[in-house]
Amino acid sequence: MSVATVIKQHIVSEYAPDTSVDELPSSYDLLDTGLVDSLALLGLITWVGERFGVPVDEVEISPDDFRSVDAILRFIEITKSA
Amino acid sequence: MQWNEDQKALRAAAAALGAVIGDGHLERDADASFSRDGWKRLCEAGLPGLPFEPEYGGLGQSLSTTMYVLEGLGHSCRDAGLNFSASTHLVSAGVPVQRFGSAELKRRFLPGIVDGSTIGAHAITEADGGSDVMGMRTTAVPDGEDAFVLNGSKAFVSNGPIADLIVVYARTGRPGNPAGLTAFLVERDTPGLTVGRPIAKMGLRSSPLCELFLDDVRVPRSQVIGSVGAGFLVLDHVMKWEILCSFVINVGEMQHRLEQCVSYARTRRQFGRHIGSYQSVSNLIVGMRIDVETSRKWLYDTAEKIVGRENAAVDVAISKLVVSEANVRSALTAIQIYGGHGYMAEVGLEKELRNAVAGTLYSGTTQIQQQRIAALMGLGRPAPARTEQGLE
Repeated sequence: MSVATVIKQHIVSEYAPDTSVDELPSSYDLLDTGLVDSLALLGLITWVGERFGVPVDEVEISPDDFRSVDAILRFIEITKSA
Repeated sequence: MQWNEDQKALRAAAAALGAVIGDGHLERDADASFSRDGWKRLCEAGLPGLPFEPEYGGLGQSLSTTMYVLEGLGHSCRDAGLNFSASTHLVSAGVPVQRFGSAELKRRFLPGIVDGSTIGAHAITEADGGSDVMGMRTTAVPDGEDAFVLNGSKAFVSNGPIADLIVVYARTGRPGNPAGLTAFLVERDTPGLTVGRPIAKMGLRSSPLCELFLDDVRVPRSQVIGSVGAGFLVLDHVMKWEILCSFVINVGEMQHRLEQCVSYARTRRQFGRHIGSYQSVSNLIVGMRIDVETSRKWLYDTAEKIVGRENAAVDVAISKLVVSEANVRSALTAIQIYGGHGYMAEVGLEKELRNAVAGTLYSGTTQIQQQRIAALMGLGRPAPARTEQGLE
């Protein structure tokens, strides 16, 4: 299973339980649409840190890094390669 | 928790200092004055630099050690307002700069924060907004490439009247959007920034508080903490520290109060017996003991989770709620045990009750913490909008 699919699965199961993974575009703006609110964002960041071994408490981080599945993928890639 | 000799020595030093700088606390409560001398002594002892990197003059201590030392201060220093100002200084400016600040921000501001010559504060709450941080009205609009212009006002700014450096949270995006807030380091003498007069309040009177007014306050982009839009994450980090550091001081205060009550119950006689021998009194004191132990455990366990990079969002909210409510209960119970004496200002317990009430309000009220816990449990989350084509 691809990393993008794992992220999508988490997002739909946590924040959009009536949606299937295929229905969530990778570019979908999670923040502007309100799908991920402020509290949910904190949970999402923690989950990304635990699931992908990213030290989210130490790296430079911004909500924009979690704006979409694409953005999360980029964030993981950059922080893991740093 | 097991503490090593170095940690115990740091705590003993804070405890010894606290006993001295607490002198005159009743008078300062009565006239709502901040102890400049107490602050100076705290700084000389290195307390404001506890968790900060030695590179900037700090002591480089861990979160839990910092809490342990602050608990010692709370235990020995009866000037709870001064204690509160110290924790506010530590968490409001130093903590976000250390975690999110650029190398330049650290170099410019951390040494002063660490040695206490630059007093810190943060401006988050607004008169209309209360705990609705995401709906704040203070705005920051880009002014060219290099600066932002801030407009709005802030309420309940602890340390505001004495602060040299204020972290102002302002909206740079749409209300409610988690990427819509930005944190700015604003120096007190910045044109357009007006620091209001100290406002009288119920408790923590020796920790001054005021309003702030921002009229076209131009702040260099280099004084953004973290990145533009990262203010909510900065604030979340700061709130974790604020709750752990501020409320562990309350645990020290509760422990002191418990010891006071045990001593009183073993010496105060009624109907030929020590009042502690009456179950109606001893049960009250046992309740105080359970409250202080529970509070301490919640705070240090939560700190351990945070350091271990576990998700501690619920734990932080529960800790805040548990400790703040326990502190009010403990102060009320102490007054009950002391009877009429406890109601007298000279004993200091009625002041402790007034101080304790503040803890149920700042850093998010008890009700906000309940709401937060419920939200983190997934309760009340609205169903997402969807169409036949999926999410749009």
